[in-house]
Amino acid sequence: MQLIVNILVLASIYALIACGYVLIYRVSRVMNLAQGELMMLGAYLLLTTGSVFRGNAILAVAAAVVLSTCCGILVYIFLMRKMTGGSVLAAVLATIALGILLRGFMILIWSAQQQYPGQPIALVSTAIILPGGARISTFAAALVAVNALAYGSLFVFLRFGRWGLRMRAAGQNPLLAAQRGIKLHGIYALAWALSTLTGSLAGMLLALDSGLTANMAVLGLKAFPAALVGGLDSLLGTLIGALIVAAAEVLSIQYIDPLLSDVMPFLVLLATLIVRPWGLLGTREELDRV
Amino acid sequence: MLRWVLGITTAILFAATASADDSYIVGMTAGLTGPTASTFAPVAEAMRIYFDRINAAGGINGKPIKFVLMDDQAEPQKAGANVKQLLTRDNAILLINSSLSSTFAPSIAEAKRAKVPLMFVGAVCPKEVYPPAEGGQYCTTAFASNFDSRATLTFIKGTSPDAIRIGFAAATIPVSRAEIDFAEKYATDLGMISVDKELIAPTTADFTPFATKLVEAKPSWVYSWAAWVIQVQLFEAMRRLGWEGNFLGWAHQEAEDELQRLKDPHLYVIGANTLFQEHLPVQNEIEDAATKANSRYPANQMSEGWIGGMMVEAALKQSGWPADAEKVQNALQNLQVDMKGIRAAPIQWTQSNHFRVNQSYRIYNWDSAKGQIVTAKDSLSYEIK
Repeated sequence: MQLIVNILVLASIYALIACGYVLIYRVSRVMNLAQGELMMLGAYLLLTTGSVFRGNAILAVAAAVVLSTCCGILVYIFLMRKMTGGSVLAAVLATIALGILLRGFMILIWSAQQQYPGQPIALVSTAIILPGGARISTFAAALVAVNALAYGSLFVFLRFGRWGLRMRAAGQNPLLAAQRGIKLHGIYALAWALSTLTGSLAGMLLALDSGLTANMAVLGLKAFPAALVGGLDSLLGTLIGALIVAAAEVLSIQYIDPLLSDVMPFLVLLATLIVRPWGLLGTREELDRV
Repeated sequence: MLRWVLGITTAILFAATASADDSYIVGMTAGLTGPTASTFAPVAEAMRIYFDRINAAGGINGKPIKFVLMDDQAEPQKAGANVKQLLTRDNAILLINSSLSSTFAPSIAEAKRAKVPLMFVGAVCPKEVYPPAEGGQYCTTAFASNFDSRATLTFIKGTSPDAIRIGFAAATIPVSRAEIDFAEKYATDLGMISVDKELIAPTTADFTPFATKLVEAKPSWVYSWAAWVIQVQLFEAMRRLGWEGNFLGWAHQEAEDELQRLKDPHLYVIGANTLFQEHLPVQNEIEDAATKANSRYPANQMSEGWIGGMMVEAALKQSGWPADAEKVQNALQNLQVDMKGIRAAPIQWTQSNHFRVNQSYRIYNWDSAKGQIVTAKDSLSYEIK
């Protein structure tokens, strides 16, 4: 039972981060390699809002969520907007540069030491005992719930929402979508906002669960295989990919060798790329354009 | 106009050369950013503050220290390039490395080529500094391979006459794995039962899977010699799984604040530096200096950097003026500095021992009744031959 819980928690972490990769890729064909840094930024913003709204957890989290979403929009307006219509490779390189820049700024502003955003807002991680004797921390449980909520909302939004439909249209054929009156910049900005929001939520919950270090951004890279395994243009695929990657990692720790766990996501990725390069639920023609 | 530009450029170049010639140049490569920044950035900050204080008080032998600090992001190539630059561009007469062990080889190679002494401050001490020491490498860092584990396991062994079930946790970096491999063998020699050993990557998203495996092995003690983040996150994950045993980790710079945060009497830390709750005069001095310098890091994380500063100051003082790399090297080979209580014993370097002659440990834990950190074991001393 504990193993299943461990797999679910790790899969939720990867899925919530990887969701950001998929959202931006689906709409603009750009791989946002600054997703890990944007996730970490969300956690640091919570640290700041926590000290501003000391003792008021709801207000602090809400403010951090709003600020993170705004950061996503600002990244699009001031950086990625200029790349629209240009080379995808240039846009990807721009996200790498953005990541480096963000990492440097975050250390300059918040320093490199281990910090606990939960302390000023009196949020403490405790254990919940589940049926079967398995245990899960409160924030890990929140992570699973938020992940389910985020994916559920995104499915509804993309399938039934007006803006969701526009996002899908812009992703499938931007030229035609623009000709039909869809404002592409608005759609792209929305994708960046949602992507940063989901990443930030993962960052905040991880930081509340086990603290915040300047090393957190590397988790962005570890979540990347989940998106690729599932298919870079499929949210459902990403969920499945995250589950497979997390299961491989947790089971390798338990039954093979803990040393393998760090490379396991990438071994799964390699295996998938050999057998099905476009991912489990990805679209074949989409991948040819990467 | 051209004359003006040439004139100003010449003046600036002359001024720069004059100031470089008129100061002790100390170069440092450190992992200021990157995965291990939380360990090394406070070391560099403490050294900067220390040298600024010396300069404000008139320098050493009447000359200021020019401290050139470069970030290597804990990457070997960058560390090598930094050291090269510090040697060729800045003409450093003493080099300092405060970074991951993977940066050591290129740093040592460059320093050896230029015959400039290299000090490791806050970083793992390389094997070259232990007796019989070779070359110009020196180390001030508190932790000492093998001796740390010997002291730890001697303490653990003393807690129970029965065979102790012990689990181990290391980071997936060579230096941490080697130490835990040594510890596992040593524990077995002492009659303990090694029940599990986990190797944890610094990039781990969730420590629960490792904690699950350790808890299932039912250890009464767990010993970890890894980065603080790994030690504490593993410990907290084990606690959340309901494990009630004892955990002992290395007392990194964050340890004092973390013991106070967790308030768990079964979490022990072993270290060579005295915690700031002792309020030694030198610790008050560090606190004042950190406050005045508006430091981004708490004073209680500055012991390692401060000790490095004390050793550099003593070496340069002994080198006299004008100093060069050779004079500094000669001074370092015959140096003894009183640590004013930050460490139990002075740091003494000889021709064949560039580590220290005596290594002394203390073990701390939280005392719930007293509501403060207490010393669980004092004076675990080893002579380094």
